[in-house]
Amino acid sequence: MTFRRRQLLGLSLAAPFAFAWKPTLAAGRADVSREVLLTWHKLILELVRHTATYMPPVAARGFAYIGVTAHEALATGNPGLRSLSGQLTDLPPLPARPGGEFDEPCVLHAALETAVKALFANTGPTGQRAMQKMSEIMGKTASEGIAAEIVDRSVAHGQAVAAHILAWAAGDGGAVIDNMGFPRDYTPGTRPQDWVPTTLIRLQQAPLLPGWGKNRPFAMPDTASLDAPPPPDYDEAPGSAFHSFAKEVAETGRALTDEQKLIARFWSDDAMLTPTPAGHWISIVMQIAERDAMPVEVIAPTLAKMGVAQADAFISCWSTKFKYNLLRPVTYIKRHIDKTWEPLLITPPFPEYTSGHSCQSGAASTVLTAIFGENFTFDDATHQAEGLPVRSFPSFAAAAEEAAASRLYGGIHFRFGNEAGLAQGRAVGAIAANLRTEA
Amino acid sequence: MMRALGLCLALAAPALAEPVVPKFTDETATAGLSTVFAGDWEYMVGGGVATFDCSGDGLPEVFLSGGAGPSALYLNRSPVGGALAFEKTDAVTMDAVLGAYPLDIDSDGVMDLVVLRQGENKLLRGTGACKFEVANEAWGFDGGDAWSSAFAAIWEKGQSWPTLAIGNYIDRKEEAFPWGSCTDNWLHRPDGQRFGAPIPLTPSYCALSMLFTDWNRSGYPSLRVSNDREYYKGGQEQMWHLEPGQPPKLYTEKDDGWKRLRIWGMGIASADVNLDGYPDYFLTSMADNKLQVLKDATSGKPDYADIAFKSGVTAHRPYTGGDQNPSTAWHAQFADVNNDGVQDLFVAKGNVAKMPDFAEKDPNNLLLGVGDGTFVEAGDKAGVASLAIARGAQVVDLNLDGALDIVVQNRWSGPEVWRQDADPASAWVQVRLSQSGANRDAIGAVVELRRGDKVERHEVVSGGGHLSGSVGWLHFGLGQADSVEMRVVWPDGSEGDWMTLPARTFQILRPGQAAEGWQPG
Repeated sequence: MTFRRRQLLGLSLAAPFAFAWKPTLAAGRADVSREVLLTWHKLILELVRHTATYMPPVAARGFAYIGVTAHEALATGNPGLRSLSGQLTDLPPLPARPGGEFDEPCVLHAALETAVKALFANTGPTGQRAMQKMSEIMGKTASEGIAAEIVDRSVAHGQAVAAHILAWAAGDGGAVIDNMGFPRDYTPGTRPQDWVPTTLIRLQQAPLLPGWGKNRPFAMPDTASLDAPPPPDYDEAPGSAFHSFAKEVAETGRALTDEQKLIARFWSDDAMLTPTPAGHWISIVMQIAERDAMPVEVIAPTLAKMGVAQADAFISCWSTKFKYNLLRPVTYIKRHIDKTWEPLLITPPFPEYTSGHSCQSGAASTVLTAIFGENFTFDDATHQAEGLPVRSFPSFAAAAEEAAASRLYGGIHFRFGNEAGLAQGRAVGAIAANLRTEA
Repeated sequence: MMRALGLCLALAAPALAEPVVPKFTDETATAGLSTVFAGDWEYMVGGGVATFDCSGDGLPEVFLSGGAGPSALYLNRSPVGGALAFEKTDAVTMDAVLGAYPLDIDSDGVMDLVVLRQGENKLLRGTGACKFEVANEAWGFDGGDAWSSAFAAIWEKGQSWPTLAIGNYIDRKEEAFPWGSCTDNWLHRPDGQRFGAPIPLTPSYCALSMLFTDWNRSGYPSLRVSNDREYYKGGQEQMWHLEPGQPPKLYTEKDDGWKRLRIWGMGIASADVNLDGYPDYFLTSMADNKLQVLKDATSGKPDYADIAFKSGVTAHRPYTGGDQNPSTAWHAQFADVNNDGVQDLFVAKGNVAKMPDFAEKDPNNLLLGVGDGTFVEAGDKAGVASLAIARGAQVVDLNLDGALDIVVQNRWSGPEVWRQDADPASAWVQVRLSQSGANRDAIGAVVELRRGDKVERHEVVSGGGHLSGSVGWLHFGLGQADSVEMRVVWPDGSEGDWMTLPARTFQILRPGQAAEGWQPG
């Protein structure tokens, strides 16, 4: 076996409790369940980065379904947990456990294995190989010392839970991603404020996933009611509000401090190069789970609720983006302020308003604040392997605000897009935060 | 500046008519090349092709990497201008080979071979008559134990022994979490008439192509490295300073103005496409490819504009075969395939394995230069739009008739070879550089052609592409011209005299000497 030992050790390091967690599983098996949940998620973060269709909205969808799968797998056997069926749109009641004894790590592993292999069925050969290796490693970890009969029964149930979630997922409108999410035919808008392509990549001459806002929401009653207010009136006249917002982006970009550059890159969370914005927040939860030795009964519902919030935030945000179809700062600035100006970050290939990262960060932070409280301090080492330093935050809200500001520093969003995105995301997050995961 | 470049392009263009589509005949079934690039995950990259003359008849032999299976060297038995014919030998039958590059390492006039492998790399010393012996120990070469996936070579100033750069890929022992496990690339510098201990080129980011190139015409080539973003963390495309006697030093944004670019880098092809006197670089990737031209040579900064889109060479999806998913590009090579005096571009295409989001039927590209800086696709019309899973390739005149042929190694299905039916209306010249002492084949030289008021510069390199390389005749299309003015800037910086070389001839060029005509057969 060539699995890195430090990767397993890193997940099992005990740390002072930040909360008085109340684990309900038997202590030894609970630790194994926790290890199964977090280790699979470590792989999922990598798979998101390395699967070509996993653009940010798609990634958020994937995290949501995997989070719900893990929670439901546990909830079917834990009277202290409440199913999300009846709370999430169109999620039918989960299959009940048949008679006999079950082993929770085996149930959880089988559910995650089934869900991950299905959701990442299109990943490349290295991802396939890694998933298979993870199946072997976690399967062995989960089943070690457990009677074969119990393992078999548990695995079958975990698979049934995952199959149930996957069947539910198949009808949400986001299951099939063609051409990496870029329409093969696209007719650009003709108004001066309409979005136009900002890269020299041919696929990106059409915007990413223009229909994503029509997907079935997870917890939102509908998409329209959480729409953002209209952006400022488009205006090319110097001194106008719109021009001033653009000028702010241009001037900020020209005078970036090292700290602002760092913040921009820390939250850049580019598709194909990182686990995407949603994965960044998943990573934050995983780090806190490790630091605080959080029990699996807390981690799983947290990931489920936050995943739902982020996925809904992307649906809501994408609905808004294609409603207003607003151009990016780089387009406006080059046309009307400074044709030589370049943003620090690569401008994402879709309309500006509202900011997707701001929106989903607002949603994630709202859920996490509801679970862990305000002024919950944490360190974020998500991008340490990429050479970026650890950043410390006094609260989830502060992290979300920094994420939103990073888009201004990066030169890819107007201030109003960030602020409206945050507000939109917080509204979405409040709905997910109200999901009941405890009995 | 860009406007000025565009103007220069327009003025320099020899012809703006629709380029002549070359006609190829698929001779795969009869040519005798049969080595399959086999293997599973450990051979998802690689599949290199090397061409060089080791028999002394001027015809290029072909070496095909076999991956998990045996590789093979094929002697070229093609009659001049005739059907392609190769005879398989048992000269280089080792397994675990991803690719190879010919290089006369010891400058004895007999071609040697650098073999890149899963495991220990091998330097094979040519002993004559296409026989080889392993020379790792004799030459002090530490072959290491890695997944070697890129190569470039140069003779540094004042050295009589080459410097080898070897790029390495993933740590193959990392099965569950291979991402972020890129192993160090190595720089093997000379220690007298052998190699010193390899110098790690840290940080390394899973290189799939390397090229020594004098990007700024400083006289000191730098090492460009194209990296696969699939596996690195915090990585990007790279370039290294290589000053004599100094440790290699990475170009950085802060010190050098290097601009961050992160692609699935798989192959580098170089040519002066825009005729500004500086090399341009085509970088292969997935769903997109880059053509980089220097924005402002006077700035001294390696700041490149990507002109692939406006030049028509993004080659981002299949143009024939019915599959519209994004493409996967590997070996790329500039060459004047239709002999019209304008650089063309061949790109080998093929899915990594069975990635459903990328084209399963991914035709190779033959992008013909129009002469105004743009290219048009002609792979299907020319007959080379194979849908096999291509990897390495060489565009080379296999039967010495003046028309370039193409040999491609494919994953799992074996090689393909196309002979071009020479168009008698288009002229050409082929030259071989030869110098005494070290670096017999003048790697690092620049061949200059003067056409009208423009001078084209062609770097003579060892490296680049996708694990594929060639040493031998350098081919130039001449269009309707009866002759061409040419000179060589030799690796030591000395400038040869301008010579007028007649069209449709082979010439051997030596420093300080008149061109020596050569005839095949």
